[in-house]
Amino acid sequence: MGTSADLLARVRPLWEEMLRHPFLVETRDGALPDATFARWMRQDYLFVEAAIPFMGTLLAKAPVGHRKPLADAIAAFHRELGLFRERAVAAGVDLDGVHASFVCHAYVQFLLATGALSSYGEGFTVLYAAEKAYHDSWKVVKAGIDPGSPWIGFVENWAGDAFAGWVSWLETELDGLGDAAGEAERARMADLFEATVRYEIAFWELAYGRADGWPGIREVA
Amino acid sequence: MSAFTDELFAAARPVWEAQLEHPFVRGIAAGDLDEEVFRRWVVQDYLYLMEFARVFAWAAAKADRLASMGWYAAALDLTLNTEMELHRAYAARFGISAEDLEAGAMWPTNRAYTDFLVRTAADGDLAELVAALLPCAWGYAWIGQRLAEDERPSDRRYADWIETYASAEFQTAAEWLRGEMNRLVVDVSAEKRDRLRELFLLSSRYEWRFWEMCWRGEAWAV
Repeated sequence: MGTSADLLARVRPLWEEMLRHPFLVETRDGALPDATFARWMRQDYLFVEAAIPFMGTLLAKAPVGHRKPLADAIAAFHRELGLFRERAVAAGVDLDGVHASFVCHAYVQFLLATGALSSYGEGFTVLYAAEKAYHDSWKVVKAGIDPGSPWIGFVENWAGDAFAGWVSWLETELDGLGDAAGEAERARMADLFEATVRYEIAFWELAYGRADGWPGIREVA
Repeated sequence: MSAFTDELFAAARPVWEAQLEHPFVRGIAAGDLDEEVFRRWVVQDYLYLMEFARVFAWAAAKADRLASMGWYAAALDLTLNTEMELHRAYAARFGISAEDLEAGAMWPTNRAYTDFLVRTAADGDLAELVAALLPCAWGYAWIGQRLAEDERPSDRRYADWIETYASAEFQTAAEWLRGEMNRLVVDVSAEKRDRLRELFLLSSRYEWRFWEMCWRGEAWAV
């Protein structure tokens, strides 16, 4: 079994939990309140912004053959931000002046700490986990969403062929990195993979505003 | 003109006061905190210290003068080779072995806080690093000092907790770090001060959440 399949097999119950999440099901069925989708959208916009420096940390450690795909992915993230802005205008969602919720902040710190301290293979594992999670999650939404939904652009982006090709490339390369890693590094890759999946689920949860506040004082300006 | 650390304190004061009023902290002060609840802090703080030590290592690497480099190196040595041993001895008084400490799993708030500290230490400059670590170093000294104003709890273990953080050693370390923060902001831009204030506030909030995590117990949502 390749590393990517092995990592997925280890977290199968969690993965299935993620794919059953009400956020995905209700978005697919057109039952999700617009305000709930908007809350996710604002936070995910901040997350994609922060994913760009994370990609930078990976790029700095990447083997030569990975540089162009990672650089292209950074450009794709910028296009994704454009998609968010375009959808936000169309749906009347304000993306300005948004502050990171606890889960969003924590997930971003996790990405950046991994990028700063971990091996390339470990960081690559986190990237694969996040992208694979998005691809599979939005495929759930794709299987039944009204083509006239205001959110169809997101579905087409993450459940589409181009993104499938990117995830497939990540999968193949992760298998190679896993083969080259020692047992200790593979164990760390497994821990990071699981942590990423947990953050992905927590991120769907935050759309509902559950237990995600910061204490004490007004939002930091 | 007030020191920059006075501005930081004023900005975060509601969060610091909320920490002082947190039932976990009140329970230490009164000595009636459920031992099971306190054990959570003992384990989580041990795991936290391991990551906190890395921040001092980054600080030594980024320091702009020999005196600071030496101070951070000493803080690193003290944390790893003295404080963690003291923590193990203290944990034993609650029936927690060194093996239990090492085997503890980091809870989500703790992981988020330490990831935040470590990545700020890695990505930021020394001023940003110090702004992020101050709410822990100074905050514990402040809470210890405030609790020490009242009569000690009868449970010696909680009384010792208060005395540790109220001790001259902790107060001196906090004072040095405040001086370092104020030194590092000389001639920096208003935007930079805003950024440092933001980091200080974020760590202060994480400090509050750390008490909350220990008070309520915590796990991943699924």
